[in-house]
Amino acid sequence: MNPDLRAYLDGELTYEKLSPELRAEAAAWDGLVQEMKQSEPAGAPPWLEGAVMTEVSVMPAPASKETALQWLLRSRTIHMSPLTGALAAAAILVVLLLPREPQSVTTDPAVITTAILVEFKLEAPGATSVALAGDFNDWRTDLVMEDRDGDGIWTGRVPIQPGVHKYMFVIDGTEWVTDPDAERYADDGFGNRNAVLAVTPVT
Amino acid sequence: MSTKLNVSDGDAVRAVLEGNREMYRVLVRRYQDTLYQHALRMVGRADDAADIVQRALVNGFEKLGRCRDPEKVGGWLFQIMSNLCKDFLKSPRRDDLSIDGASATVIDRSDPSDDLERGEMRASVRQALEKLNAEQREAFVLKHLEGRSYDEMSELLGVSKSALKMRVLRAREELQFMLKVYQ
Repeated sequence: MNPDLRAYLDGELTYEKLSPELRAEAAAWDGLVQEMKQSEPAGAPPWLEGAVMTEVSVMPAPASKETALQWLLRSRTIHMSPLTGALAAAAILVVLLLPREPQSVTTDPAVITTAILVEFKLEAPGATSVALAGDFNDWRTDLVMEDRDGDGIWTGRVPIQPGVHKYMFVIDGTEWVTDPDAERYADDGFGNRNAVLAVTPVT
Repeated sequence: MSTKLNVSDGDAVRAVLEGNREMYRVLVRRYQDTLYQHALRMVGRADDAADIVQRALVNGFEKLGRCRDPEKVGGWLFQIMSNLCKDFLKSPRRDDLSIDGASATVIDRSDPSDDLERGEMRASVRQALEKLNAEQREAFVLKHLEGRSYDEMSELLGVSKSALKMRVLRAREELQFMLKVYQ
C-alpha cells in the first residue's frame, strides 16, 4: 500500500496532501468504511441486562483483591535438596535480571458513556406497589420502587444514559401517574402528560 | 421527583465488592451496548455476540476483585470480552462454519441502483471482514469502524502501536485483495 495512502488512512495525512490518483483511492476506502458502518449494530438486546443480573444473583459474591493477595502472601513450606535449591535461586536471579516489558494499563476512555444514577421519588400512601416506566426501559413496568419504612414515599434508583427522557409512575400495576414534581412535562398524545427528565453527561 | 446521583465506575465496583451486587447493574447498563457492538462486529452474528457479552459480564462479576483499577473497569471488561471474541473466532467449531477460499468480489462503487445491489455489496463487505484473522479484524474494527486512535487501541489491548499499525495495514491489504477496493 502506498505510504501516503496508509498515512491518510491512519489519520496522519490530510486528504488535501494526497495526489489526485491517491485521492480517488482514498475516497474508495472511505466509501468502503462507510458501507461497513451502514450496517452498524444496534445496542445490546433488551434481555441481556436481565440475563446477566439473574446469573449474577445466584453466584458467590466476588472475592476482593485483598483475598487474592492474602492467598499469594500465605506462607508455605517447600522441601527441596541443596542442589535443587541452588538451581531455583539461580533461576529466580535470572528472572529478576531480565528486562521487563512495560505494564499495560487497561482502560478505554472512548467507550465510557457515563450513565447517571437517578433517584426517583413519589409520594403514594396506600399504594401496594409503585413502578417506574420510561423510554429508558421501553416503558416496561419492571423497575420496581420501594417504600421500606412504610411512610408512603416510594423511591428507586436507576442508571440512565445522558439525554432527554420521558417517564411515568405506575401505581399498583395499573394506574399511570405523572410525576407531580418533574422538571418538565410533555403531552403523550393520548391526553396525558409524561414527565420529562434531562440527564446531562458528567464532564 | 428525580434526583441525579453520580456513581463512578470505582464507586460501583467497590459497592459490589462490599456485597451490593445490584450495583453491578450500573456497570452492565453503562457498558453492555459498547461491548455488544464490538462483539457483533467481531463475530458477525447477533446471538453469538450477545452470548459472548453475557459471558464477559458474568466473568467480570466473578473476577471483579482482580480488577486492578476500578475506575477503569470499562476497559477491563472490554478486554475480557475481546479475548472471548478471539477465542470464539479461533475455535474449531468456527472453522467448520467458515466459508472457505478468499474469492475476490469486485465492488462496484458507482452508486448502486437498487437495494438488491446494495444488499449484495454489504454482504460481500461483511464476508470479507469475516475472513480476516481475529487480530487483524479486531485492529481494523477498532481503527476504522470505532474510530479509535492507535494510542487508545494500544492502551486498550496492551499491544504496541507499531504492532497495531501493522495489523491494520495487513487487514487493509487483505480487504483490498478480496474486494478489489480500487483498481
